[in-house]
Amino acid sequence: MTTPPPDPAGAGRDAGDRTRRRDALLLAALPHVAFDGWGRATLAAAARDLGMKAADAERHFPGGAADLVAHFSDWADRRMTAALVEHELGGMRLRDRIALAVRTRTEALAAHREAVRRALSWLAMPLNALLGLRLLYRSVDAIWRAVGDRSVDFSFYTKRALLAGVLSSTVLYWLDDDSDGAAESWAFLDRRIADVMRIPRLTGRVRGAAARLPDPFRLMRGLRGGARRFRRA
Amino acid sequence: MPGDPTREELVEGMIRVDHAGEFGAVRIYAGQLAVLGGTKAGEAIAEMAEQERRHLDGFDRLAAARRVRPTVLSPLWHVAGFALGAGTALLGPKAAMACTQAVEEVIDEHYAAQAARLGDDEAELRDMIEDFRADEIEHRDRAVAEGAEDAPGYELLTGAVKAGSRLAIWLSTRF
Repeated sequence: MTTPPPDPAGAGRDAGDRTRRRDALLLAALPHVAFDGWGRATLAAAARDLGMKAADAERHFPGGAADLVAHFSDWADRRMTAALVEHELGGMRLRDRIALAVRTRTEALAAHREAVRRALSWLAMPLNALLGLRLLYRSVDAIWRAVGDRSVDFSFYTKRALLAGVLSSTVLYWLDDDSDGAAESWAFLDRRIADVMRIPRLTGRVRGAAARLPDPFRLMRGLRGGARRFRRA
Repeated sequence: MPGDPTREELVEGMIRVDHAGEFGAVRIYAGQLAVLGGTKAGEAIAEMAEQERRHLDGFDRLAAARRVRPTVLSPLWHVAGFALGAGTALLGPKAAMACTQAVEEVIDEHYAAQAARLGDDEAELRDMIEDFRADEIEHRDRAVAEGAEDAPGYELLTGAVKAGSRLAIWLSTRF
């Protein structure tokens, strides 16, 4: 889950504490990832840095690399959500809000670019691909929620699918972007969003054409009415 | 048991299926109105459709507030609901009422079972379900009063509609 689920009274504080300890372990682990990858060695090194027992650290990430990578993604999502709460989103166009959210989430990762690169290559392995998809879904879900989307129809899925393409391609572009302040990445992001914005215009044209077709039910109603009048006559 | 849904997932599934159900109901009535709009039976249908709209709005709000994802099958219910409504209405107003009776009976059972599983910690959801359930029972009785049981092939028709509704409930809870 993105944030620990709200649980029955009393347990809430413990869940928050656990998330904080997991965050601390993750942040201590990130500098080691560049050298040791996402695995036990990194977690052990992070525990050593924090003066924690390795077994204790493993208790916080029982799934090893998978848990650690998932928590990394979740951490970035939460950073993005927290930063967006500070912003006055009300007056912004939706596309600007989305751009801001993607940019905020990516910038939260700026100090850990190498760890992101290794996380993505770890997630690209066939056995981990499903987790990669799940994390991507959680991230785009978090972004849409953060920008205030409340859709509960099928557009819920099309929105998330379109944003998944935007987010993942932007992160990949950003990984190899050495322009000042990653300016080229944000231009890339704007172009991707512009691509997505073209879709409703295309489907709108199809819908407009379909509306000009005759409505079969109105036709049938007319027939029934006509038949009744015919019988009466 | 390991692998069983948690309480959280259980409630999420409930909201998802109820939201899908009310959406389906709106589509069924829309299908019926497309055929019977403007007739005498159409007036009763329009009134019931109005109440289903209110139910759907209620679950729209709840699903967004509780961060429940909608069912992926909504495009299917969009088409299937309308087709069921229009199809039965084409058989005549009485068949349309038989369809309403069958659907509302299944929904009544479904809501009753859900309300029984929810405790005081989910009072909001439970009250909403009980509130809507009262409307659905009223729709069922109204359909019977409008001559549902005189529909051609009544047993066959209601049996098929009920089986379909139960399948839709099973699917929408999970997907």
